[in-house]
Amino acid sequence: MEITQFQLDALREIGNIGSGHAATALSTLLQRRIDMSVPKVWAVPFEQVSGIVGQLDMPQATIYVKAEGEAPGKAVFFFPVESAEIMVQALFGSDKPVDLYTDEMAQSALKEVGNILVSSFLIALTQFSGISFQPSVPALAVDMIGASLDAIFLEEGMLEDTVLFIDTQLTGLPKIEGQFIFLPDEGSLKKMLEAMGL
Amino acid sequence: MSVVISVGMADFKTAKSPDLLLTAGLGSCIGICIHDPFLKVGGMAHIMLPTASGSLGGNPAKYADTALELLLKEIAEMGANRTRLRAKIAGGAQMFSFPGKPPILKIGDRNAEAVQQELKKRGIPLLVTDVGGSFGRTIHFDVGTGELRIRTINHGEKVV
Repeated sequence: MEITQFQLDALREIGNIGSGHAATALSTLLQRRIDMSVPKVWAVPFEQVSGIVGQLDMPQATIYVKAEGEAPGKAVFFFPVESAEIMVQALFGSDKPVDLYTDEMAQSALKEVGNILVSSFLIALTQFSGISFQPSVPALAVDMIGASLDAIFLEEGMLEDTVLFIDTQLTGLPKIEGQFIFLPDEGSLKKMLEAMGL
Repeated sequence: MSVVISVGMADFKTAKSPDLLLTAGLGSCIGICIHDPFLKVGGMAHIMLPTASGSLGGNPAKYADTALELLLKEIAEMGANRTRLRAKIAGGAQMFSFPGKPPILKIGDRNAEAVQQELKKRGIPLLVTDVGGSFGRTIHFDVGTGELRIRTINHGEKVV
């Protein structure tokens, strides 16, 4: 679908409000300040995705939640493994090292973080657009970011050549950085824009 | 001096020895590597879906069937002999699973199957198949020797 500048601005605004809620939730959870970048909206061909998420073989903890409902989409948080481990330590209130690759308790805690962040994002979206969303259970992969993302892009056998997403960077001290992206499914973007009278 | 040529998602590239082809972070996608060991030329395609039929068109490098066709054409233009071509493939993982929901659409498996069929249809011997699992792969292909280096994060590294 063709996207006008006006629609891109509207999407950025959606991203701003939604990611703002998510960043606040993260900040409350971790009891520390989290800063959020101004969201960017991208519509890029697949071969350019690496320009946005960085090195495709970088190990990252990727939390994936499907937003089902009238205007379905996919919400994805990804954090460098070290950042994700620091977040889990903050949640557990312990300095004990965690190994996200093997520790199921840590994995489960991180999924819960994803759950809370995505829910905050979606609640904001609902308040803004009137469209309701039902988040799925979160799924987690601790692996190369490119591998996790391609699986997410392809989950429904996506046919379009470009991937459209709202992209926000989250940073906090010490050493917390992450990225949140929301990918509206085909047709959902139109519904969301219509619901907002755009 | 050898150069490493990077292949993106839904992309394909060809190379001459001593250059290497690289694709980073394959999940359910498949990296198809083909070379002519005599002429020491070859190529790599990073496909995302099994077939272009029934799709809305668009980038042919995204699909196993059309990407392979394009790749073979370009390798042939470099002077390679079709009967000498050899293939190796990697990828096709299942990265996520949702509890209580069987993955109806195992796209990684379907991709692997489609690539194998397309190669067979064209009579190109498939020497190495490193597919499946639930982990990502980064692959380097040496078009001169045909060596394929497969790197993972927690499942080791190997040259096949």
